[in-house]
Order: sequence, then structure tokens, then C-alpha cells
Amino acid sequence: MTNESKPTLVLEHVTKRYGDFTAVDDLSLQVRSGRVFGLIGPNGAGKTTTIRMIVNITVPDSGRIELFGQAMETRLQDRIGYLPEERGLYRKMKVGEQLKFFAELKDVRGKEADARVDRWLAKLQLSDWKNKRAKDLSKGMQQKVQFITSVIHEPDLLILDEPFSGLDPVSVDLMKETILEQKGSGKTIILSTHQMEIAEKLCDDICMINKSRKVFDGKLREVRRSFAQNAVALRVEGSDGSLNDPELITNVRQNGDDTEVLLTADANPQILLKRLVDANVKITKFELIEPTLHDIFVAKVKESA
Amino acid sequence: MKKFFAVVKREYVQRVRTKFFVIATILGPLVAVGFTVVPALMIGLKTGGPARIAIVDQTGNMYERVATEINNSEERPQPQPTMPNMTPPGPAGARGRAQQTAKLVKADYALERVDLDGRTLDEVKTSLDARVASRDLDSYLILPPNLLTGGEPEYHARNTADMITKEQLQRSISQAVRSQRLVDNGIEEKKLNELSKPIHLKASGVGGEEGKGEAGFFLVFGAAMLIYMSVLLYGQVVLGAVIEEKETRIAEILFSSMRSFPLMMGKLIGVSLVALTQLGIWALTFVAVSVSVTGFSFSMPISPLLFIYFAVFFLMGFFIYATVYAVVGSMVTTTQEGGQLAMPVVLFLIAALFVSFNIIRSPNSPLAFWASMFPFFAPITMLVRITTETPPAWQIILSLTIGFATVVGLVWLASRIYRVGMLMYGKKATIPEVWRWVRQA
Repeated sequence: MTNESKPTLVLEHVTKRYGDFTAVDDLSLQVRSGRVFGLIGPNGAGKTTTIRMIVNITVPDSGRIELFGQAMETRLQDRIGYLPEERGLYRKMKVGEQLKFFAELKDVRGKEADARVDRWLAKLQLSDWKNKRAKDLSKGMQQKVQFITSVIHEPDLLILDEPFSGLDPVSVDLMKETILEQKGSGKTIILSTHQMEIAEKLCDDICMINKSRKVFDGKLREVRRSFAQNAVALRVEGSDGSLNDPELITNVRQNGDDTEVLLTADANPQILLKRLVDANVKITKFELIEPTLHDIFVAKVKESA
Repeated sequence: MKKFFAVVKREYVQRVRTKFFVIATILGPLVAVGFTVVPALMIGLKTGGPARIAIVDQTGNMYERVATEINNSEERPQPQPTMPNMTPPGPAGARGRAQQTAKLVKADYALERVDLDGRTLDEVKTSLDARVASRDLDSYLILPPNLLTGGEPEYHARNTADMITKEQLQRSISQAVRSQRLVDNGIEEKKLNELSKPIHLKASGVGGEEGKGEAGFFLVFGAAMLIYMSVLLYGQVVLGAVIEEKETRIAEILFSSMRSFPLMMGKLIGVSLVALTQLGIWALTFVAVSVSVTGFSFSMPISPLLFIYFAVFFLMGFFIYATVYAVVGSMVTTTQEGGQLAMPVVLFLIAALFVSFNIIRSPNSPLAFWASMFPFFAPITMLVRITTETPPAWQIILSLTIGFATVVGLVWLASRIYRVGMLMYGKKATIPEVWRWVRQA
């Protein structure tokens, strides 16, 4: 792991109990600045509780949370933007006033707040809706307004819990773009989602928790590699007798046009490639298979069930 | 602190700007007037002009006296069918309303003398019955020859259920008979009038502040009604304001921005300012109308000091009870549940009124002292003590301190329950659970 950036957030041995139920158990993790950190896990794993401790809604029973190099305290809340999974708007309040109110709650006020409201509404193509009541907006539009509430004060740490739910594909793309823009301007982002394809595209680092405990964490690429089985996706024309060597290959499976070949644990895929070339087979595809985040997620949850 | 003001501002501005607020502000006084005047009108209105009553005088000399008494009976004070809980504070308004109502109740009588003229009583009765049946007459009275010596007059009417008329006739005849008996016993007519003049009891405080007690009673009653009314009107609003973020699921965003205590306090203050704005508009309207109706002679019915006490204790009472609604709101998830839960607490206010009757009689008893220190009673009971026998200043200050400390304590409690409750979404809280939350949060 490189140390090119200081961690924005550090959790050390954090534990939170509600009565007899342990929601988060001895969780330690680091979120490095300027990166997108994916927090994944099945429902009830303890993600929301973890996030609530990070935004200082609840306090851990034990362990330590350090944000921007300081111990957690109320004042630091103004530097966090939080889009909770449970979210809503004041139904009868106009969109513009609503956003200004949330800005004021984050200590942004006056003309500056007005300017930011206008800028963000324009950016998310909601300017025409500024003076409409929230209840007159479609669900997707409300989602976007809620997103603005979490970024209006330009927080250094942005925590997004299921930001894509209820959005149409165009809005999903707009949202992804906006998140990457935030990252580009140096913000740190914690993204919690069940949509693994999106997490895979956006996240630099990943942490999975299940049953209150951390399952794994690290850079997304390293995580995927560490879960990689020794497998190759092949597309060839001609004889493929070379796939019958039990020393090298344990299993062959057809997946659409591809042939998926599972190699023995310590076999080198290069040997397979060389054999195929030697056998004069026409190779149109030869790719080492890395498991998707989805696969890893499902495997891990099943494993612990 | 800035965030606290942001919450106050939002709660206030969003509510004051609604059509509901504007309509309620305009309609409120109209409804209040409607509730007091309309029932009075309904009771007082004689449909179809004066009651036409024929009097058959078999005594030969009582008609004049009875007729006079019946016509004079209008001047006597009547039982007032006002709605006490809608009476605005201050004796001026109450008294004006009472006189108004008396006028409304004033019944007109068209009396008619019927002599036997040689007919038998039964013949006369038959002819009068016919006239009543044909609606030429409403009723008739028969004064028997032995009226002065215990004979019972008869009353025949189409509508014998008209209690007011029956009552007035009975009183008038009694009075007439009593006077005639006195005259028959040698008392001069002039003397008689002097002797039967009613007296008026004039009450004054020992300190020379005349009529303080009376104004005090109206003040206390007014304060109680005002607190009761405004709590009923705005308690629900406070409840709704507290529940709003739960129902709209905004609570979590708010808690990621500020602590729950300033949030809760901001809500309470914001809604209360709305209430005070509305009450202020009503009070100013009331004063303006009074001034324009009575010329420019509107004067404060109570001393400025008493008015300040009134205002301070009203505020305390309002906040204490409004905060109860906030606590309830923090425990429940829907407004309906909350309304039911909060209702018993309002009973404290009614209990306070009952205790006051005891305190008026002995304002320095230990009961009076403790009742005026108990925050849920103090807004009423302390005012009673102040207006009857003003207690030492330290007691007043202590009572206020306890009262406002209770408000702060309840807000703290509400914010605590609210926060923990929010973290366990959608779960209805039981009392033991709430207690555990309060301790662990």
C-alpha cells in the first residue's frame, strides 16, 4: 500500500452495541483522501451504523474515530456531506428555500448560499423547479435535490448511501459524472451501494463488512486479484486438444462464445497459451479472468451463511 | 447558535406564510364571536315578536300590579347563557358581553286584560283556548279570586316547555302578590318601593386597591382559558413539527448537521412564535375594535404590573404545555397517536383551575405554596396568589425558575428520546424503552 496521501478518516477497533445486539464489531479501516472508498455488505451488515458513527450521529461504545487528523467532534460535521439511505425532503417547502435551509445548517449562509443553490440546480438540470414544492417533483428529481443537500457546503468528505436508487439511466450517468468530478476536485468520497457494477467502476478502494465485522478491504484492483482463481477465458478456432491435460486444467466450461478454463492452482497460464500457439489454433481471445465484485460479494456472503 | 436560528426561521416562516395561518387568523375571532353570540341569539330570540298573553283577573284589582311586574321583569338580570371558555380575558370584554346577552334575552310581552263580563270562567277559558289554538294568542293566565290568600294562578300556553317565560311569569306574580299583601297591611306605596330596593355588595381589598379581587379573578380565568386555548390550538402544531422530520425521513440529515437539543428548541421556539404572532394579531384587533366601539376610552382593566405577571405566566404555561407535546412527538411516529397521548396532560390545566378555587380562599396555605411551585399548576395558581395576596418576591421568582427550568428539561428529554428513537426507525416506543433510551443515549 502506498502512502501518497494521508488518510482522511481512520477507524480503530470501533464497536457499537444496541442492547444485546452488536451492530459493529471491532471495525478498523482507513479512508484515504482524494479517493472513492466503497463500503459494501449485505443488508443489516452494519454499514449504516458505521456511517452514522462517522458523521457523529451516534458515538461508538469503544474504539476511536479520527477525521481530518482530529478526534471526532461536532464542529467537524460541517466538513462532511451526508446523503443517508433514509432520506426525504420537506414536502411543502420550495426546492430553493429548502436547499438554502440545508446550507445554513452547514454554516453556509446569505448570498453565498443563494449562489450555490443556483449553481447546483443548474448543474443537475433542476433550475426550472427552484420555486416548486418538493412534493410536486418526481422521485428521481427529489433524489437529485437530496444529493445537492449533501454537497451544497462543499464538504471535504462526502458520504453517499445508495445514491443511485430510483434514478433513470441518464440520471445515473449524470450522478456518476458528478461524483467523479467531486473526486477530481480533491474530495474524499465514501460510497455505500448494492449496485456492484457501479461500485466497480467508481471505487478506488473497497471494504466489505458482513455480520458486523470487516470481511476484507484494500485497493479494488488488489482485492479482485487476490480473489482471482487461476482461470482463463478463451475464444479459439480449430482443435483444442491441449485442453485435456489434467496436470494443467481442472475444469472446462462453455460460457456463451467463450470457453472458460480453470487451471490447476500453480499452473502458469503462459504454458496454456504456448501450447495453443504450438497447436496452431487460431486464438481470438485469451484473457485472465478476474472475479467481479459481484462474484466476490456473493461468494463471501454465502461462505458466512 | 446560528443553526438554531436557521431552524427557528424555517419553522416560523414556513408556517406563517401558509394560507392556513392567514385563514385561521381571520376566522379565529369570527368563530369565537360566533360561538358566544349565536347561542345567545338562539336562546334569546323570540320568534315572531312579543309573547301575547291574556290575563284573566278574577281578583278585580291585581291586573295592574301583575302587568307592571311582568313588564319590569325584563330589567332583572337573567341567567346568562354565555360560553365561559370563549370569554376573552379581562373584565371589560366579559361584562360587555354579559350586558349584550341580557339585552338579547329581554323578552317582549304584549299583555291583554280579559274580564269575565258576566260569563262563567269556563266560557272564558273556552274562548281563550280557541284564540290560542288559532294563534291569535300565545298563552293566558288566570288569577283566581283568592290569589292573595294562597290561590294558585293557572297558566295555559301552547308551549308549556318555554321555561324562560314560565319562570318570569311566576316571579312577577309572586312579586306582585307580595307587594299587594304589604300594601294591604298598611304600608305606603312609596315606602314599599324604598324598602324593596336591592342592595349592591361593594368589595374592596384591605390595601385600598378597590376591585382588585374581581379583576384578579377575570385575569386568572382569562389566563387559564388563554393557555388552554392556545395549547389546544398549537399543541398539535408542535407535535406535527416534531414528527415532520420523522415522517419525511429528514431527521438523519438534520442530525448529521446539528445536535438534537438546539434542533428541538428551535422547533419549539419557531412554532411558539407563530402562536404568539397569531395571538398578538387577535389581541391588537380586540383592542382596536374596543377602542373604536367605545370611543377612545379603552383603558387597561388591570395595573401594568399585573399585566406583566399575566404575560410572563401565560408564556410559561404555554411553553410548559407545548413542550409536553414535543416530548410526546418525540416518542410517536404519527400525529394521531400523539394527540391521544398528549390529552391527559392537558387535564393538569383543568386540575390547576380546581386547585385555584381553594387557593382563592386561602392564598397562603401550604397547599397554595406547593401548588404554585409545581410547574404544571404554577401558571394558574401563582397568578391566583398574586392577585389575591401577593406572595413574597422570592416565591414568584422561584416559581418562574422552576417553570422555565422544566421547559428546558423537557426539551432536553424530548431531544434525547427523539434522537435515539430516530436511530431505531419506525419503532413505537414503550415507556420503559423510552426510559432506557434516555439513560443510554
